[in-house]
Amino acid sequence: MNEDISIDSVQKREKSGYIIISLISLVIGIFLWWLFTEGLGTISHKIMPGPIRVFQSFFSKFYVSAPDGATLLQHLGSSLQITLLGYVIGVAIGIPLGIVMAWYPKFDLFARPVFDLLRPIPGIAWIPVMIVLFGIGLLSKGMVVFLSVFVAITINTYTGIQQTKSVHKWVSHTFGASNIYTLFHVAIPTALPMLMTGLRVALGAAWTTIIAAELLASTKGIGFMIQQSRGLFRPDIIIVGMIAIGITGSVLGWLLGLLEKRVLKGRLSKE
Amino acid sequence: MNKTFWESKWAKPISAFISIFGFLLIWHIGVNSSSLGELMPGPIDVLSRFVGSFSVNIGQYTILGHALWSLSRVAIAYSVASFAGVICGLAMGRYPKFEAAFRPYFEIIRPIPPIAWIPMAILWFGLGELTKYFLIFLAAFSNVTLNAYTGAISVDPELIGAARMLGASDNQIFRTITIPASVPHIFAGMQISLSSSWATVVAAEMVRSSEGIGWMIVSGMEINNMQQILAGIVAIGLIGYGLATFMRFLERKLLVWNERGA
Amino acid sequence: MSKNIIKLEVKNLCKQFGDLLVLDDISFNVNKGEFLCIVGPTGCGKTTFINSITKLYTPTSGEILLDNEIVDPNKHNIAYIFQEESTMDWLTVFQNVEFGLKVKKIPKAEREIKVNEYLEIVGLTEFKDYYPRELSASMLQRVSIARAFVTEPDLLLMDEPYGQLDIELRFKLEDELINLWERTGTTVLFITHNIEEAVYLAENIMILTNKPAKVKSRLPVNLQHPRDIADPEFVEIRNKVTELIRWW
Repeated sequence: MNEDISIDSVQKREKSGYIIISLISLVIGIFLWWLFTEGLGTISHKIMPGPIRVFQSFFSKFYVSAPDGATLLQHLGSSLQITLLGYVIGVAIGIPLGIVMAWYPKFDLFARPVFDLLRPIPGIAWIPVMIVLFGIGLLSKGMVVFLSVFVAITINTYTGIQQTKSVHKWVSHTFGASNIYTLFHVAIPTALPMLMTGLRVALGAAWTTIIAAELLASTKGIGFMIQQSRGLFRPDIIIVGMIAIGITGSVLGWLLGLLEKRVLKGRLSKE
Repeated sequence: MNKTFWESKWAKPISAFISIFGFLLIWHIGVNSSSLGELMPGPIDVLSRFVGSFSVNIGQYTILGHALWSLSRVAIAYSVASFAGVICGLAMGRYPKFEAAFRPYFEIIRPIPPIAWIPMAILWFGLGELTKYFLIFLAAFSNVTLNAYTGAISVDPELIGAARMLGASDNQIFRTITIPASVPHIFAGMQISLSSSWATVVAAEMVRSSEGIGWMIVSGMEINNMQQILAGIVAIGLIGYGLATFMRFLERKLLVWNERGA
Repeated sequence: MSKNIIKLEVKNLCKQFGDLLVLDDISFNVNKGEFLCIVGPTGCGKTTFINSITKLYTPTSGEILLDNEIVDPNKHNIAYIFQEESTMDWLTVFQNVEFGLKVKKIPKAEREIKVNEYLEIVGLTEFKDYYPRELSASMLQRVSIARAFVTEPDLLLMDEPYGQLDIELRFKLEDELINLWERTGTTVLFITHNIEEAVYLAENIMILTNKPAKVKSRLPVNLQHPRDIADPEFVEIRNKVTELIRWW
């Protein structure tokens, strides 16, 4: 008993020791960044702005629309709007398709080959096609986001349904359940963890894709903002944009994580 | 036996053929019988353009030349990133202090998609090869590192306990147990990284380049040449598929002892 | 007792996988309320046989009648306890036991009463809100048993349900099973390769030959429950069954 406690406290002490190391490491990193930019001026702020400047730009970008025509939140809003639109449609089509493909082998035989044909093409490769077809508006970006989401979510749903254990199907069938009943009460619950993973992977793909699309051809959005800022030699805004991209991606992932916890209650903590 | 068609070994190839043929046929008819044809070339046009571009230059190179450009960029940066990632991930697993110091940066950089680095990379490294290498490196490095790290810390503790009882030192344990045991994880990370490297090189070439498959489709966009775009996409898909297959093949060959490879 | 009514009738059942004949002309009857053990060497096709009854496999030829009708899980009330662990990990213990009742569209109020009753019988009442991963192997097998009995099946099929458990637990669960069977009067078909288990449980034992499986013989076990495995009569029957199985 005593030994347990002492081991525990040692581990705790070690852990807090590591946090201190992390903090020191961060402080040194930021200090070096400051030293070589704002401190000594070794690196021009046209190449790499210092931390103070980035910090200031980050907050001023909330209300300043120069130099790229919109504030940070306007850009973010525009990007998020398209991302969520493409995401929702992609999920709405991808999940049923993945389920039907995995559950009905005959359908699978015909749908899979075409799906496998399109699958290795990264979403961003469709950007030029969509721009030629639909111009550089919401529709073309929405389509590209849709395609990346659709592929990711379909694959994950498909794999999830295929993980259904035969013995669970047998239990259901011997109780006299129909194939559809078994699908909804056995296969889909089995697939849920994979499905949630798919939702998360797809969200990451959607967010990456929209940035790429905006970098390439756009008039607003966070990707447009950082691309514009490069032309204007405003790396501070680029870094602000990258930070915003990172934070937004993390927040979206975190929200999905909350959903996942709710949906998979009782099944998590496995790992 | 009353084996139906669905159970026979022919079911798969025949249905695959019907399915793909049907897809191409719908595409063909859709393009030829509606106004969509003004924007969209049919499958025959795309395929003949694809085949034709092996002998006719698009820009400075044939399609093969562009593909080789893209592939060589991936090959160089991906190898460096994998190597660095494995070292870094294993070191993080081996030395908790190193992990504690390195981890914050890793966690800050990881949520930013590699593509979002394009403007900064161009500013730092100009329009040349270095920018592309940097971006591919970013795409590959974090996945390999994370997987190597996971592999290193998830070694069966009983195995380590057994080795320790036999008098193995920490270094011996790390060399003879931890590293081999993390190989499957590393491989999984390398597989994911390769496909994201491929997507990233295409994106990087699309934004700024004068050769490569990504350039090919984006220049098709600029001159409104859908055939060229689609021929490029065919190449991107084929290469992406080829790379994934190659990695699976390697995994099967090299990791015969591991269940994941099955 | 009403034990002379024929519940299950198997007529000339054959099953072939490709060129492999697994079941060769099997015919027998099971009376209502009977506890029949089917024993045979490992891999002789016992599972194939039981799966034909539930329509998981379609027999190549022959008929299986339950209450004089061709067997059909959608019409008949069949329950099956599988060899492998079969509780559903996304459902609580309560919901697992409820599963069959829900399939059969029993009203909620009635489901609740029944599930609680059977959870009580198998001693899992206090675990009813647990998830399977929080329970031990023997508790999981009890969940499966409760899930089967709660539907009050006309026919209960059990395919080596205790094969994975250690001896002590097995005796305990076997006693529980006999208890439940006596209480409910369910017709039970119990498959095992463990001769002692068969003699301990069954009213009648049917012995199958090695592949392709045929009915070798059938003998009654006229002993009172609970049985004593050291009882000379018990030992005698066990030896007899062992002789019959050891055909080589």
